[in-house]
Amino acid sequence: MCNFDNTYIPIQMKVKKILIENPDRSLRTYDLSFVNEDDKKRFNYLPGQFCEFSILGKGESPFGIASSPTEEEILKFTVSRTGSVTNEIHYLEEGDIVGIRGPMGNWYPIEKLKGQDVVIIGGGFAFTTLRSLIIYLLENRDDYGKITVIYGARNPDLFIYKDELKIWDKRDDLILHLTVDKHVKGWDKLCGFVPAITKDVKPDPTSWCIVCGPPVMIKFTLPVLLEMGFAHDKIYTSLERRMKCGIGKCGRCGIGSKYVCIDGPVFSYEELKNIPDAF
Amino acid sequence: MQQLVDKVKEIIKNKEVDVVIGWGRGSLPFSATPIFVETEKDAEKLIFDETCRNNLTTYLTKDKRRISKEYKKIGIVVKGCDSRSVVLYTVENQIKRENVVLIGIPCNGVFEKKKLSQLVDGKEILDFQIDRENIILKGRNFEQTHPLKEVLCDSCLTCQYPDAPEHDYFIGTPRKEVNVPDAYKTINEFGKKSSEERWAYIQEEYSKCIRCYACRNVCPSCYCPECFVDQNDPQWIGKTPEVTDSIIFHLIRNLHIAGRCVDCGACVSACPVDLDLRIMSKKVEKEIKERFDYTAGIDIHEKPAMASYCEHEKQDFIMG
Amino acid sequence: MIKIKKTDLHNFIEFLIKDYNVYAPADVGKKIAFKKINSAFEIRHDITNTHLSPKNVFFPQSEVMFQYSDDGLKIPERNEKPIAVWGMRNCDTSSLIMLNKVFGDAHQMPDKNMYKDPYWKMKYDNCLIFGQACNEPLSTCFCNWFDGNPFAKKGADVFVVDTCDHFIFEGVSEKGKAFLLKYKFAEEATKTDLDKIAELKKTAESYLPEKLDVKPLYNKMSQIWDEPIWDEISAKCINCGACTFVCPTCHCFDVSDEGKGKKGKRIRLWDSCMFQIFTREASGHNPRELSTQRVRQRLMHKYNYFMDNYEQYLCTGCGRCVQVCPVNLDIREVIKQILDYKISRNEDN
Repeated sequence: MCNFDNTYIPIQMKVKKILIENPDRSLRTYDLSFVNEDDKKRFNYLPGQFCEFSILGKGESPFGIASSPTEEEILKFTVSRTGSVTNEIHYLEEGDIVGIRGPMGNWYPIEKLKGQDVVIIGGGFAFTTLRSLIIYLLENRDDYGKITVIYGARNPDLFIYKDELKIWDKRDDLILHLTVDKHVKGWDKLCGFVPAITKDVKPDPTSWCIVCGPPVMIKFTLPVLLEMGFAHDKIYTSLERRMKCGIGKCGRCGIGSKYVCIDGPVFSYEELKNIPDAF
Repeated sequence: MQQLVDKVKEIIKNKEVDVVIGWGRGSLPFSATPIFVETEKDAEKLIFDETCRNNLTTYLTKDKRRISKEYKKIGIVVKGCDSRSVVLYTVENQIKRENVVLIGIPCNGVFEKKKLSQLVDGKEILDFQIDRENIILKGRNFEQTHPLKEVLCDSCLTCQYPDAPEHDYFIGTPRKEVNVPDAYKTINEFGKKSSEERWAYIQEEYSKCIRCYACRNVCPSCYCPECFVDQNDPQWIGKTPEVTDSIIFHLIRNLHIAGRCVDCGACVSACPVDLDLRIMSKKVEKEIKERFDYTAGIDIHEKPAMASYCEHEKQDFIMG
Repeated sequence: MIKIKKTDLHNFIEFLIKDYNVYAPADVGKKIAFKKINSAFEIRHDITNTHLSPKNVFFPQSEVMFQYSDDGLKIPERNEKPIAVWGMRNCDTSSLIMLNKVFGDAHQMPDKNMYKDPYWKMKYDNCLIFGQACNEPLSTCFCNWFDGNPFAKKGADVFVVDTCDHFIFEGVSEKGKAFLLKYKFAEEATKTDLDKIAELKKTAESYLPEKLDVKPLYNKMSQIWDEPIWDEISAKCINCGACTFVCPTCHCFDVSDEGKGKKGKRIRLWDSCMFQIFTREASGHNPRELSTQRVRQRLMHKYNYFMDNYEQYLCTGCGRCVQVCPVNLDIREVIKQILDYKISRNEDN
């Protein structure tokens, strides 16, 4: 964690590389490198965890870590321009210093997934921690069974990590289904919303399933999975909430008696199904 | 108030409305509480007296789903000021007048809890009794009598329209328009002070604001879907209870309700730290009255002062 | 137990002020709240419960977390004297125990240090709490529903009883006992004083409402979270934050940066789950969009979720929210309403 005496103090990181993900430039991926060696040593994380990205004068926003712990030296975040903090992040240039607090929260059940078939369902730019997970699984490929990825975006421009998607698409140890909401010229992959595509793809319901995307996608995909017969405790999702402290005190990310920031963001459907306002 | 109960029963029975918002007996000696009456039986709970402080029309706007159901026709029990809020909503196109059934009642003014508390030096009042022009306050070790006038809201003491100028039914005997010769007395006296003195008072007073926004949330005229204080992109004002920011919040809120405030006093009653809120709102009301000869919520066909223009209006504020 | 004459209290307070920053019920505008005092004469003894809760002493409405500038970050250090609070009733001393569970102990977390709140700890850890017997509970008080009592000492280091002409002091914690030993100008309390205390206690208890068994509240709330009762309860709520701001146990906060350019401060400030923006995300999505959901969140947090995490309710029955609610949404009635509620859903389905 950032600072052992005071968790609210961010550590310093340097913007190493900025990648503009889409033509309208609203999605950008930042590779950050540690400024202090000590911080790097202390910063141990797993796929699914997140950080508070701190812009002094504007505030903080939580972002899932898009890099995998197997990629050393850097932390990767993909930021969509939506509010005042993300706006400011978009003004960053390579070489700038930013603040990070983390790693926070729990992670995808990588231990439980061992030896199992895994279905990964993602939507839009919430694909960040799923990238982390996929890289991690591929890096430890022999530990896991069949890997199926369903990834949807409103249009082809809005996919992130396009270069990697191309590489994954060619691999024979990962099945990738890309889908866009509506057909556009030149698109030769699937068309349709994620829940419908999931139905068509017919993943094996004995698999484990990780779902991460906008709230509305999660809301409509879960019933599809349940109908197919996925076990409640084998469906995992990562929740997105407004957060401030990141350490279970400020109260805003509370869902039931859990806090998304410390008890999540990764929850099984089994855990969430009886919690008010969870979805 | 049997007449009120009977009328409400009647309009519920005739299916004139789906719900009637009125006051029921509250849990504290000086509190009535808003109730939502859907059945004839529930109508029995309706009361009207000096404890019915809330301006219930506030439930007609903002976050309409708060009543959780969408009602087609809503009946609402209104005092003078409350009925003026409905006029305001109508001219501002927030409601359709025909969807609201107004049950007017003559109002003799409502109690101001803060004044009561001051009279007994913060001790707890457990019971009271009204004896003609006086009120008898009873606590554990005391009983004291005060003229009724001393415990009414300031806005009631300068209220010209106690009779619900706009209504569909009227219960009881109208009090007619009241002539208030010195409605702006407090404001005028405050205006006579030097600018330093006034500023010192405003700073002292608003430094106590805890930014709970009770004033805004009870206010019938404050129905913006998103208040400027809640916006964070850009963030217009600081969020701390620092006095500069608190003053800006109250100033902007008051400018935003210029020509729209019906002086119901709901904000004053709601404030948990007893701020002098009318010192601003009444001043704005006076300006609007003098410049545009406009009083909010009186004429349902007249355009609001801030939404209309006429050539003869004073323009000194532009010309400097 | 020792006692001092009421007229000599200023000596005691002066003695206290030497080593502590003393907070006590005093006039703040037209209301009475806990504030830092410089003399015993500022203390208001004639009230039973302050209008605002004492949480601001340890958890101020706004607090600087750090300052930032070109020179880096500067974390405020506390070089002042430790804090002593005079005149806290049982409902308030109990609230500190609850807040300390959140900010100080973080006992449920695997890595305890990581989740302790340094700003709370630097104020709370060395403080001295003077609990005071509540001789005359108000009609809005219901501490007895939540294991409280006007004469309970829980959460206090020193317990004080105002017997009209004297203050009787009892050391409760080691810290409190040690402090009392240092004060040389007191007399020993006598049997008569003890009798007087017993009598005052009896009178005080007689003012409380009939005790309500709130134990079933936890289970009941777990069962009814998706029942229509929440619409009934929340119908009149106008979603202001008055109840949460006067509550001694509500502790949600916001973090906000204030400053210009590269110089400024990151502050935290009270926030309220009653506000729509509390949970609204940058995308516009709001998991607690409706008033009903927000009212349910506040009540569930108090009487259900907190129990899951810290094995007690997050309410001390101080009654402040009852006093300030602009629409008289009385939490005592809500509790009764929930306990009395007949579940409509068929559990078999």
